[in-house]
Amino acid sequence: MVKIVTDSLSDITSDVALGLGITVVPLTVLFGHETFLDRVTITTDEFYRRLINGTVWPTTTQPTPKAFADVYDKLAAETDEILVVTVSSKLSGTYQSATGGKSMTTKQCRVEVIDSQTVAMGLGLIVLAAARKAQAGAKLNELVDFVRKSLSRSHLIIYFDTLKYLAKGGRIGRAQGLLGALLTVKPILTVKEGEIAPLTRVRSLAAGMDYIYNAVAGLSPIEALAVEHTTNPDDAEKMAERLSSIIPKDHIHRSTVSPVIGVYAGPGAFAVTVFAAEK
Amino acid sequence: MKPVESISGQDLRDMMATATTWLEKSSTDIDALNVFPVPDGDTGTNMLLTMRSSVEEAYRAPDSSASAVAQAIAHGALMGARGNSGVILSQIWRGLAQGLKDKESVTAADLADAFHEASITAYKGIGNPAEGTILTVMKDVAAAAKAQVKNGVNSLVELMEAAVEAAGESVANTPKLLPILLKSGVVDAGGQGLYVILDGALRYLRGEVEQMQFRKPQMITSSLPQPARSLSAVIDEVPYGYCTEFMLQGEKLAGDKIKTKLKKQGQSLIVVGDKNTVRVHIHTTDPGSIVQYATSLGTIHQISIRNMDEQYQDFLEMQKERGLAVDIATVAVVAGDGLADVFTSLGVAAIIPGGQTMNPSTKEILQAVKSVAADKIIILPNNKNVVLTAQQVHSLTDKHIVVVPTETIPQGIAALLAFDFEADLEANTRLMGEAKSRVKTIEITRAVRSANLNGLSIKKDQVIGLLDGELLATGSKPLDVLNKMLAKLSLKEMQIVTVYYGADATAGDADLVSAGIREGHPQLQLEVVQGGQPHYNYIVSIE
Repeated sequence: MVKIVTDSLSDITSDVALGLGITVVPLTVLFGHETFLDRVTITTDEFYRRLINGTVWPTTTQPTPKAFADVYDKLAAETDEILVVTVSSKLSGTYQSATGGKSMTTKQCRVEVIDSQTVAMGLGLIVLAAARKAQAGAKLNELVDFVRKSLSRSHLIIYFDTLKYLAKGGRIGRAQGLLGALLTVKPILTVKEGEIAPLTRVRSLAAGMDYIYNAVAGLSPIEALAVEHTTNPDDAEKMAERLSSIIPKDHIHRSTVSPVIGVYAGPGAFAVTVFAAEK
Repeated sequence: MKPVESISGQDLRDMMATATTWLEKSSTDIDALNVFPVPDGDTGTNMLLTMRSSVEEAYRAPDSSASAVAQAIAHGALMGARGNSGVILSQIWRGLAQGLKDKESVTAADLADAFHEASITAYKGIGNPAEGTILTVMKDVAAAAKAQVKNGVNSLVELMEAAVEAAGESVANTPKLLPILLKSGVVDAGGQGLYVILDGALRYLRGEVEQMQFRKPQMITSSLPQPARSLSAVIDEVPYGYCTEFMLQGEKLAGDKIKTKLKKQGQSLIVVGDKNTVRVHIHTTDPGSIVQYATSLGTIHQISIRNMDEQYQDFLEMQKERGLAVDIATVAVVAGDGLADVFTSLGVAAIIPGGQTMNPSTKEILQAVKSVAADKIIILPNNKNVVLTAQQVHSLTDKHIVVVPTETIPQGIAALLAFDFEADLEANTRLMGEAKSRVKTIEITRAVRSANLNGLSIKKDQVIGLLDGELLATGSKPLDVLNKMLAKLSLKEMQIVTVYYGADATAGDADLVSAGIREGHPQLQLEVVQGGQPHYNYIVSIE
């Protein structure tokens, strides 16, 4: 069976990963000189607690090529085909490391690495779909083809409650233009061609949910949906509730937003991912 | 200072350790150069972590030959490489180690060869090498080192001096080679990191380790003019005249005196330096007199005088050519600096000053439309009396013009916020039109003449209140009239109230207004903004 590998920015929780046999390679989260492995030695809750209360601005670092090489070597004992789907190469160097790791392996095994050009559950839902296909017996070539075609089916929409953290981080591609607004505005962002890009701005949570609901409805038919939060599960729950008229609620995947996006989104943000049905 | 002709493996290791400490001092500055959008791309941190791994490994070298230490450095870098810059750096050390293979110690000629090898290995390691990056800097360093050896230099210090100088120049040049850097107004972060590492190594060779404790590495700045930060060029602030820059060298130069003297001669004046060297930058209409004054103080070097009108046109052209120009831009008619700031902060590309009692002409709107680097333009008139004027513009330009007929400032802001970055002109026109009708506007001003309207008898100069343009209340005090107006609305169904207070109202007045609203309707999201608009004490948006 083809083994599926991704990174922790996919927001796939460990129990889900375990169930589908997905290996999640963690990024490193740095608070000053303290280092943690994302979702391994630091929970997302703890990350946000430190982000909000701490004085040190956190950063993240991609896994080393060696970390990927070790994973490949380990999996090579069970399979001779590995598919790696990583976070957008424009958001993180993880793709680079995953590719670099290939030349450092000691075992014989075919490894294919794909840049998802997205992040969070935008990446997560693609990986979950690929993992299910792998379990059903799909071969590597078939899976590579499937994932490449899936990229355009994944739509990530993120609601920010505050611009404070975006401003602190400073550099976030096309979303830069959202900074400095003299009115309280809540930006709604997406990932476009691998980069964070603005969608629109609203002035209240209710208006944000309206916008997202309409955006999701406009993307149907939908195969899978994910809702994830940074610090406020209640808002995410409310959003999921509203979306349950489009897709049954028990089919809506729930998770938390990974640090790389979370460091900009800050508290009160949530993200919705639509995995559109195959055309 | 004794001339250093060769160094041992131990020296090589200590040199790397010194360079790492040096890099540590500027790693956060280098991080700040990143063009990439997330903290994962922190170049300074990544290079530092890679260097630390190299140094740790260097202590584990099997013997103290230059070859063994260089191998260990390369191995450590490979194992600890973080980020793209770290990976490329590890390639550089790998190349260096190859160049120093079987060497017991390192001479200037050996180092030049090793730099050459490092450059080649670094390029090889990258799938599609881009110029204007750390790769270019390494290549330029290797070329400079080679030239030194060819000229018979055998002092390592001299060789490294040339290498560091070449690195600095190469870093400053990176924005010329990589458009994204130019766009972001930064030099390449990885290149800057390599410069600092080489500079640290040079300082070790010079025996300056002690002094380094109290100093910080130099950050290279680009020699290119920084592009305007955004397209929000307000039309009357288009740069004009000549951007004049030079370096002045002399004795006992007084920067403060120069600054005072030049202050009145132009804008954006920068005078920095010490008593022997001063760098001057100024935007002026008369560069001749500036240069004349400077030559009376000393000798001038690196003179650059550029016509900014051309630069600005080039900038607009460049935006178009590179496709950096926004697809759809918005221009708005706004009076009051506070309101102009609000519109600018929300992304309008140009502001046409005007509104009540000073309606802009078609020509003024047309000029704004022309100044914007986009072919599709949405005009927000924000006033009933400007809508028609705005609608004339489309017949006067080849650009695709749409007027979203906003009649008040709050309508204009609501429309602007609803702009969808992914939608086309047609969809945005619809979205913005819908948004404008979801907001209610209260305006508080004074009657310009006596009249009888809506059953109200109005005297000249009396305070009047309008709801969406309809006169509904009068009074003697702006605050009272505003409260009367608010009472006419069912605020229970509303979510957000924004009060823009005008040039005639104070922040204190506005606080009273907001306190009143907050008391009666604690559920509302309330915001008070200095609008600075003339004639209108308050403009209130209710949505």
